[in-house]
Amino acid sequence: MPYFIHIATVLCIYAILAQSLNVILGLGRALNLAHVASFALGAYSMALWASPTNSGIVIPMLISIGVCGTFSLILGWISLRLTSDYFAIGTLAFAALISALLINWRSFTNGVLGIPGIPRPTIFGYDTNNEVFFLILCAAVSLIIQILIWLVFRSGFARQLRAVGERPTSAAAMGIDRRAVLSAAFALSSCAAGIAGVLFAMLLSYIDPSSFMLAEMIVLFTMVVVGRPGSFWGCLGAVLVVVLIPEALRFLKVPYCLDPLPSCFEPIASSVLGQVRQLLNALMLFAVVWLGRRQLFPKERIC
Amino acid sequence: MAILPQLLINSLITGSLYALAAAGFALGFRVLGVLNFAHGHLMMVGAYAMLAAIAIPGLAPILQIALVIATMIVVTWILLDIVVLPLARYSPLLPFVSTLALAMALEATVAMSFGVNVRSLNISWWPGHSNTGGSQSIELLGGDFMAYITQTQIIIIFSALAILVGVALILGSTSIGRAVRALASAPLAAQSLGLARNKIIWGVVLVGNLITAYAGILVGLETNLQPTMGQAFMIKAFAAIILGGMGSVWGAVLGSYLLGFIENFAIGIDIGEYSLPAGYKDAFAYSVILIMLLVRPQGLLGRKMRSE
Repeated sequence: MPYFIHIATVLCIYAILAQSLNVILGLGRALNLAHVASFALGAYSMALWASPTNSGIVIPMLISIGVCGTFSLILGWISLRLTSDYFAIGTLAFAALISALLINWRSFTNGVLGIPGIPRPTIFGYDTNNEVFFLILCAAVSLIIQILIWLVFRSGFARQLRAVGERPTSAAAMGIDRRAVLSAAFALSSCAAGIAGVLFAMLLSYIDPSSFMLAEMIVLFTMVVVGRPGSFWGCLGAVLVVVLIPEALRFLKVPYCLDPLPSCFEPIASSVLGQVRQLLNALMLFAVVWLGRRQLFPKERIC
Repeated sequence: MAILPQLLINSLITGSLYALAAAGFALGFRVLGVLNFAHGHLMMVGAYAMLAAIAIPGLAPILQIALVIATMIVVTWILLDIVVLPLARYSPLLPFVSTLALAMALEATVAMSFGVNVRSLNISWWPGHSNTGGSQSIELLGGDFMAYITQTQIIIIFSALAILVGVALILGSTSIGRAVRALASAPLAAQSLGLARNKIIWGVVLVGNLITAYAGILVGLETNLQPTMGQAFMIKAFAAIILGGMGSVWGAVLGSYLLGFIENFAIGIDIGEYSLPAGYKDAFAYSVILIMLLVRPQGLLGRKMRSE
């Protein structure tokens, strides 16, 4: 049972992360590889500023919103001067820079050893060290953010964002400021990812840089692309699929080694589970891109 | 500055490795027009193919090399005919995502078959190989300006130079090179004049990937191998290309050597308590990307950025 509660909590956190990436990648068609850096900044601001003071949940979230908001403004200011190829490389450089800082700035982030002992708050008298209460907390936060993003999806802002993403020329002709619209979308998705980071740090009570690598970004990409970019409910469905399928592998007896020795027909050992999951995600992402190559990112047509 | 000669040599070595990786990348980018996020991982695959080849007992060196080349042909086929070409014509975003997926799949596959730990590459027939693992160092200069270089490092510097000059000669002054340049600068016109686009793309990308695999093997000999090395080298190649200028192979080469110098000098120069720890070496490549994108996005040698 604790296992299923854990999976449900992870689902809530991934739902925030994937949905906020969906705003940028799905609506704005901007290949933002620095999304996971916002997630990392949220988690580290929780671990570094909030946990020594043990200050509940509201203050850490405000701090991480502040940090991620600032980060997204810098990110937007630099990377939004660029288009397509250059934009992706710029955001990738940002993500790599953040993870290099997390690894190397030992006096501040404790390097690869990570930061242990992140406390969970007590809310209205309920101690969230109890897994059930923590799940309820995550579900509540996730629900609030999903509703906010749902409102954004129905707003005129989302239509502007879609226009900038899918029909940049027409959007510019209509007087929509690409950089302003995308900067706002960046800020929104970065802050949401920061909140997901706070919850993630509380969930594990220990964070290290390895949780925020490019591989994690691919997982988020898979979620958005599998759910059809720009589709609110599709994204949530994809989060379920992408999280649960690799989890199912724990229970299945499948051949997972390259050489089919009898010993490989066992539940996958936890030592290679990470790689199996990564391979599976990559194949899933590729399969969806391949099958949906005509529909996923339609080219701009002016006719 | 007694450390200066050693810093220069180290910069040259790093720069040569980056130049080989970036030249392969730039060649592919010129003919495909697609950024290959799996490029660093191809380098990693090449090096691990060598690791697998030398583990087969009784295999002649020439066959070991053939095995690596065969692996690279298969990987090139996957890259071109499955991952990039069928998708590139629908949207430029698709190859981004699909090459990212390829990169992750390659990394996971190698990690599953070879393990995630650091491996060292000891090729017994490599010149200067010694049984203790590394190759012997040679003293250069004397007295205050002591500098060391190993035989492998000499090979790195000179073979990189030879390969780059070779590529430049083929691109610049043969009919094949003319066809490649035509295809890169005016794809439609080149095709309508009867150039076989797919054949040329295949040839150029395969050559680029073989150079990349060679760079991977050199990295394995000089340091060691890890499945995650691909990502670091992918970003280094990006940095070199952005420094030098997109779409120009020369720019990529220049950018690589510059990056090698920047990294080694930034870490190596002793400025008392403000000296940077060696771990920040990689952070320089990332900062270089950001600064260049901010100040001069077309790169040092690049032409005006193409707008979309």
